[in-house]
Amino acid sequence: MITRIVSNNFEIPDSHTMDVALSNGRYSSLKPVFEKEPQELIDIIKASGLRGKGGGGAAAGNKWQIVSDWEGTKYVVVNADESEPGTFKDRRILSLDPHLLIEGIIATCYAVGSNTSYIYVRGEYEEFSDILQDSIDEAYEKNFLGVGAQYRVDITIHRGAGAYICGEKSALLESLEGNRGHPRLKPHSPKPEFYFNEPTLVNNVETIASVPFILENGAEAYRAYGTEKSPGTMLFGISGNITKPGIYEVEFGVSMLEYIEKVGGGVKNGKKLKAVIPGGASTPILPFEMLKEARLDYENLRDLGSALGTGGMIVMDEDASMVKALKNLLRFYHHESCGQCTPCREGTSWSDKILDRFVAKRATMEDLEMLRSVSKTMNGKTICVFAPAASGVIDGFLKHFESEFLECIV
Amino acid sequence: MSFSYTQENSIKIASLLNRYPQKKALILPLLWLAQKQDSYISEDAMGHISEFLNMPYMHIYSVATFYTMFRLTKPQKRIIEVCRTLSCELNGSEDIKKYLDNNYSKEFEIIEVECMGACSGAPMCTVDGKYHENLTTEMIDEVLK
Amino acid sequence: MKIIIDDRAVECEEGALLIEVMLKNSIEIPHFCYQEDLGADGNCRMCMVDIKGMKRPQIACNTFVSENLEVSTISENITEVKRSILELELLNHPVDCAICDQAGECKLQDYYMDFGLYDSHLTTAKTKKGKHIDLGSNVMLDQERCVLCTRCTRFTSNITKTGELGIIGRGDSARVGIAPGRELNNPYAMNVVELCPVGALTSKDFRFKQRVWFLDSTKSICHGCSRGCNIHVDYNETKYSDEKIHRFRARRNNKINQSFLCDYGRLSYTELNESFNGEVSHVKDLADLLKEDKKLALVSPSMSLQQLQAIKSFCKNNAIELFSLAYIDDSFGDEWLRTNDMSANFAGVKELEINYDEGKFNSSLQDAHVVINFDHKYLKNMDLNNKRVVHFATSHVDSDYELIFAIADFAHDSGTIINCDGIRQDFYATKYESSNPRLVDILEELR
Repeated sequence: MITRIVSNNFEIPDSHTMDVALSNGRYSSLKPVFEKEPQELIDIIKASGLRGKGGGGAAAGNKWQIVSDWEGTKYVVVNADESEPGTFKDRRILSLDPHLLIEGIIATCYAVGSNTSYIYVRGEYEEFSDILQDSIDEAYEKNFLGVGAQYRVDITIHRGAGAYICGEKSALLESLEGNRGHPRLKPHSPKPEFYFNEPTLVNNVETIASVPFILENGAEAYRAYGTEKSPGTMLFGISGNITKPGIYEVEFGVSMLEYIEKVGGGVKNGKKLKAVIPGGASTPILPFEMLKEARLDYENLRDLGSALGTGGMIVMDEDASMVKALKNLLRFYHHESCGQCTPCREGTSWSDKILDRFVAKRATMEDLEMLRSVSKTMNGKTICVFAPAASGVIDGFLKHFESEFLECIV
Repeated sequence: MSFSYTQENSIKIASLLNRYPQKKALILPLLWLAQKQDSYISEDAMGHISEFLNMPYMHIYSVATFYTMFRLTKPQKRIIEVCRTLSCELNGSEDIKKYLDNNYSKEFEIIEVECMGACSGAPMCTVDGKYHENLTTEMIDEVLK
Repeated sequence: MKIIIDDRAVECEEGALLIEVMLKNSIEIPHFCYQEDLGADGNCRMCMVDIKGMKRPQIACNTFVSENLEVSTISENITEVKRSILELELLNHPVDCAICDQAGECKLQDYYMDFGLYDSHLTTAKTKKGKHIDLGSNVMLDQERCVLCTRCTRFTSNITKTGELGIIGRGDSARVGIAPGRELNNPYAMNVVELCPVGALTSKDFRFKQRVWFLDSTKSICHGCSRGCNIHVDYNETKYSDEKIHRFRARRNNKINQSFLCDYGRLSYTELNESFNGEVSHVKDLADLLKEDKKLALVSPSMSLQQLQAIKSFCKNNAIELFSLAYIDDSFGDEWLRTNDMSANFAGVKELEINYDEGKFNSSLQDAHVVINFDHKYLKNMDLNNKRVVHFATSHVDSDYELIFAIADFAHDSGTIINCDGIRQDFYATKYESSNPRLVDILEELR
């Protein structure tokens, strides 16, 4: 079931060192890449159907095209601010195969016409960004990067400092400019992101790490995996009440239950499966009954009322309290709201406080109504998708597990 | 007491200046270096950064207070961060927190934090920033000995 | 180009900001963070409208109009959206209107009355934040009343570029403030009080003194320097006491001061309350004095054109040599509103060709037997030995001039002045009668 495209070198010892990386195929895509015109590469990415793997799933090729077409000094920013609860895949790439990421960055920069790249790594990942830094240093020594390279690219690691919201691309860029991580107002027409007013491509670590395979083997090779609309593979993660938690790369479209059983080893301690949060905390929870049809691709999970997100599944067994689980997540949103716009700043805090009353089994029907009402106010009225995500989380729990909440009402 | 970066850090800063299109982008790296140097970010350090970047002090302060990893007061003890988010909670992070509180709160400041991206290693904590995953109480004793 | 707002056709320019189109056409649109001079920030989410063809409500401060845009501000859906966001704005607000100076001119109050009107649903404790924090420069902060619209922080960041104010912390503990040990300290600081749409920032000078609904207001022009910033003079008369001016507020004039004032100008209202309370001379005595020869008059360059004109003819008719001297303070001006010329109408002095040559004035002064001073500030510094002095004053003087006449100040005597850029502006007298006569009336009496 496991397919290794991005995770190919994960189990090779010392794969983060240049020698091991080189003898295991790293940087081999650069020769064919530099033989092509940048536009050809963008066309290959478009044809491959590569989708952003940070959670949104937008078509990567279109993003590249917009940045490539926009006048200005271009930047490529790699989003390694992986902070979505249940998500820990990018960390694997940073520490187990950093040269794959560097190779992907060089190819991406060449394709969109940039010479400067930043990797924004969440502050907590210091150990992993140190490994990445060593690899970058090695890549400079070997002239894959810097002035001596065939195509000049400079990579700088920029450490975050504890703010989930900086995973939102415009907040990330604000942070990279030396500001508080407040998301920016969204444009009304297709535009690139901007770093100090210059056109900028922001892609997730795994997205960039998928690029070398595609550019070396062609769009069709990538499309051989996955589904028509969700081509390729993804580093799906699994955690929670699961026997073998971890990151396992599989192609899009596999059955979720099969994934849980076959690669995740099934629910821990032989318990019954109660629910799964499919793609990081911000994707609405799905109860066991709905999982029979669940497949790991964008379309299927959307149709089930949830989303693929980051592909980080959180498994909950029969003993898990849904009230407690929602409280846990709302505390997270309360803690991580940037506080810029009203519905989110006040809504995440209020909903978290309301949940305390459920946890204490002192809630009233009015509390339940208020929770629904706050959730509605948080949805679709804010600058970024943080509050709508929190809203979706609340709605998911209340939709599928309402009875557990009713039991907490006095 | 005035703040200045060590020579080693000053060299780092000089090289970072070439890496960004505007000086202002150095705020986070400068705050990190100050914290590395002193274990926290003092008012003097922020004042130094403000002067170095020619930006209002308040901007530096406002940025520093946005990010939870920046410490603006000197820590009195070593720091343990326990992840409390869902995957860790499902795997007993609350018990880990209790165990730490009961046995190690004298020597360590024990803080609950949100998801550290170590969900497959739940429950987890960091000690002085280093990750420790798949925690058991025995393991805690071993690590903290 | 036309767009439709609530079934009404509105003329506007392609690409204009929807909220500006609405405000220009007096269409009600609640907003906190948008402010004409600071622009949009998009954080308060109060200006939401329904736009035909769009699934979700949009904020008017980030919507650019295009042909045939159809906007609804009153649909059931959008009213509910606004109500629900307002509820969140007010959620942790202390609702202490009874002791809040903003009451009566508070956007939170206005919007609550317009479309809020719900009962509180809060069953949990409110978030606590700092109260009565003295920021410096007469500005007091109550963080619990703040809606975090960031008008004040944007003012110090983008307008004065002094950057004293900022947001501290994150999420629901985010609050406006100054850094520890620092203070709000710039010559325009008090504008943040006026910018603040709620009671978070109040003026130490005005706090707890008056309820705004007991104030009358008159359009005027600041006389603090030659910029001619447009102001509202807010005043009232209470039982058993004379009229009192309580504050100046900026009045919008996009050619001059937008919606701002410097603190010096803003606080210069206090001079207007220092009424003349000494004994006043008889006009007849002045008429006698005018029979002397070698008479010289000095007129304040802050007098209105009407006053200057009257003085000019008075001097001509009575063979008085007339001068004015500029009020110059090289340390006062800046690159924004404040000018080194600290008189209100020096351009008027020039226009009426009143002599302002200081050397000429000094030599004439030596020879003069009679000096008639029309409220010029420099008189007190001059050597007036052996001269007979007549003083027309708008505020109290302690000197023992031979003749003293109290005259109405600019808040009590309408007129016209010309600012440093040659713009003519009218100002008006408050509705209460001044205890002092108008200068022109005294001069008229002398004819």
